[in-house]
Amino acid sequence: MKNLNEISARLEIAKKNIKKKQIKNSGSNAASFGKAMKISTELVAAVVIGGTLGFILDNWFDTRPLLIIIFFFIGVTAGILNVIRSAKNMHKNSK
Amino acid sequence: MSTNPMHQFEVYRIGPEIKFGNLDLSFTNASLFMAISAITVLLLLFLGTKNKLLIPSKIQLITEMSYTFVAKMINDTAGSVAKPFFPFIFTLFMFVLFCNMVGMLPYSFTVTSHIIVTFILAAIVFVGVTIIGFIKHGIKYLELFVPKGVPIALLPLIVIIEIISYLSRPVSLSVRLFANMMAGHTMLKVFGGFVISLGVLGGWLPLSFSVALIGLEILVAFLQAYVFAILTCIYLNDALNLHH
Repeated sequence: MKNLNEISARLEIAKKNIKKKQIKNSGSNAASFGKAMKISTELVAAVVIGGTLGFILDNWFDTRPLLIIIFFFIGVTAGILNVIRSAKNMHKNSK
Repeated sequence: MSTNPMHQFEVYRIGPEIKFGNLDLSFTNASLFMAISAITVLLLLFLGTKNKLLIPSKIQLITEMSYTFVAKMINDTAGSVAKPFFPFIFTLFMFVLFCNMVGMLPYSFTVTSHIIVTFILAAIVFVGVTIIGFIKHGIKYLELFVPKGVPIALLPLIVIIEIISYLSRPVSLSVRLFANMMAGHTMLKVFGGFVISLGVLGGWLPLSFSVALIGLEILVAFLQAYVFAILTCIYLNDALNLHH
């Protein structure tokens, strides 16, 4: 049993060290890089989807190029909305 | 070896040609490396859980850490309601992680640098999450597209915007993973090419860049698997706990 007690004491010390490190690393490069990638692709994806949707609907209704223009701008709006939302989420999580 | 930096992404057939009508189902290098990644994951988990010691061995430690890592991630983002989906998210995370990591080995092939692979993974998540949302909330799941407190006049526009934002999820999920892996591997190959063409005298600078880039790429490989899994959790959370 002495062995187990020793291990638990060592675990406590290790846990404390990890906590200290986590506080230091909260603004690390890796996490920021991930966030940047997330936001940029979200903006682009919504624009692409908006454009594609406009293109498909244009082919259906024979209204080229009216709908592709409208849906492109709606896509941009959706993209900005996505970015604002995920930024809000990050802000909430970091608090 | 070819100096073309895009040559590494070529898919070619291994073994006999298998055809069903217009469908080409031959075994390719992409299928080979997918199989290698899946077998590596299985082997790791099998060896890690074979001898359960109180003081874990290294391989058991890796297995337990990956378990707690994913379990904590699900708990933090989607809460305890998402517990039943642990096996799916764990499989997804480990598969993407190992595909990325196996791709980092020299002479190997990076499966996740092909958009069709990442898009199918994202489409499975997207369709699955939508079905779960409809099963859980029925027709009320459509309320996701109607935010509260919007004037009636603006409602049609807002609904279209919300639908596009919802549809853009699988695209952003798949493009992120694919673009990161492809850009990183192309960059590595380009710098490798510089080492060869500058020779013994000038090649040292791009070589040191390459070493740093490999470190960055390993980081990106892990990070993208993590982001893929955590976004799946977030979408799952939206479907399970409907609130706007």
